[in-house]
Amino acid sequence: MAGTVAMWPTRSGWPPAGALAAGAAILALLAVAAPAAEFDPVRVIDSLGAMADFAGHLLVAPDWSYLPDLATKMLETLAMAFLATVIAAVLSLPLGILAARNATPHVAISHLTRQLLSVMRALPELMWALVFVSAVGLGPLPGVMALAFVATGFLGKFFAETIEAVDTGPVEGVAAHGAGWLQVRRYAILPQVAPDFIGIVLYILDHNLRAATVLGLVGAGGIGYDMVMSMRLFQYDRIGLIALAIYVAVTVLDRASDQLRRRVI
Amino acid sequence: MTLPPLPKKPFNPTPVWVALVAALFYVVAVELDVGFGELAWGARDMVEFMSRFSSPDFSDIGRYARLMGETLAIGLWGTALAVVIGMLAAPFAARNLSPSPVVYRVTREVLNLVRAMPDLLLALIFVAAIGLGPLPGVLALGLHTGAFLGKFYAECLERVDRGTYEAVRASGANFLQVTVWAGWPSILQELVSYAIYVLDRNVRMAVVLGLVGAGGVGIALTTTLRLFEYNRASALILVVLATILAIDYLSAWLRAKVR
Repeated sequence: MAGTVAMWPTRSGWPPAGALAAGAAILALLAVAAPAAEFDPVRVIDSLGAMADFAGHLLVAPDWSYLPDLATKMLETLAMAFLATVIAAVLSLPLGILAARNATPHVAISHLTRQLLSVMRALPELMWALVFVSAVGLGPLPGVMALAFVATGFLGKFFAETIEAVDTGPVEGVAAHGAGWLQVRRYAILPQVAPDFIGIVLYILDHNLRAATVLGLVGAGGIGYDMVMSMRLFQYDRIGLIALAIYVAVTVLDRASDQLRRRVI
Repeated sequence: MTLPPLPKKPFNPTPVWVALVAALFYVVAVELDVGFGELAWGARDMVEFMSRFSSPDFSDIGRYARLMGETLAIGLWGTALAVVIGMLAAPFAARNLSPSPVVYRVTREVLNLVRAMPDLLLALIFVAAIGLGPLPGVLALGLHTGAFLGKFYAECLERVDRGTYEAVRASGANFLQVTVWAGWPSILQELVSYAIYVLDRNVRMAVVLGLVGAGGVGIALTTTLRLFEYNRASALILVVLATILAIDYLSAWLRAKVR
């Protein structure tokens, strides 16, 4: 489509045939999918009333006595994200080296590692949390495992891509001194990718915090459990507080990691 | 002859940082009572547990395929909704297009707020408001990723060359006309490629929306795991995994084509 977009305007004045066909295909696909998704404009507009009703419920005085509990749960969520990020960073370092085409011991290993990483990050954390909860029981541990598992998939891939973009000069220089396999990676590649790597880890920490907020849904620790329970028990005075707490935590971490990243890179 | 003394070695802060993170990790792990030691001890149990998934039972494949189709439909419609929301919100949230600085700030903050809400929380709220089924899932995905796209599209609009807007404005165009004739056409490529990225992400998220009753394959997965039907669960996971990997490749191919 790159060419077709550039060739606008066409002689007839209509958008190019390729773009029209793509648009028509998307509309057809949406029409086919509409019944399965129960997407029906009438029902959507009808549901607006129900949503306004519901929003009215949320406008109640917050349950301030819940605050200490909320703080504990938010801290647990943050702790899970932190643990998972550290584990993922440590695990993905060797995996990233194995997956990078210019650092791997063999091309086949690089391909294999890449496949493994893409399978690891294919499914959302919540699904793995579900599996791990049934393996090791309720609590933050399965949550941390699920977060670390998926984050390793992402970090390993990003890390491999950074390694592949490395300048070859230092690598040849260190190798010319007779440095061994590991020494080249430690003294020529690692120092070059370290700033980028820190930036990526911070991004993953951010992502993990967002993901950790919902893991409690399946009993894998954090604020998510309270979120579901207050919803099921119609404790509207808590839902607003929980949503606000998540917003504040996510935004503060977002800004802080932005600052840190700017200083590192 | 004496050589001048070597200059002092610069202080290397890396070990300090590593030690700090390691110490914090230890403290947090103890505080959270996360028994990594137990986990190592239970490695054999873990292998035994994983072996229960080893013979996937595909007898219910028709139902899984139908649920997966529903999941895809939710992801697709959620994305369509998100693109519409993103395209409508972006001109207000782009500094160089927005009708006024106040509108710009307010739109930005609203987008940030909605983006910070996890889509599962939104799905929970919509399920409570309008009942079970795929529709609350579609709305939750659409709203969350709509805010995400709104911010991204706004940033794309801000990168557009000033001359493009000025040329259209000089012909007397108002805000709406500048958006339609200069704004959207200039970012067409990013518009499509981010939309494909969001489709990819939304299908993944749609897999777990079923956990809160918002349709799709998630509900079947929870049920099979709760009933300890590990062979069915593993068949289900394989179906989901295959679909998502296929979409992964498809979207990578499409994005390369658009670029």
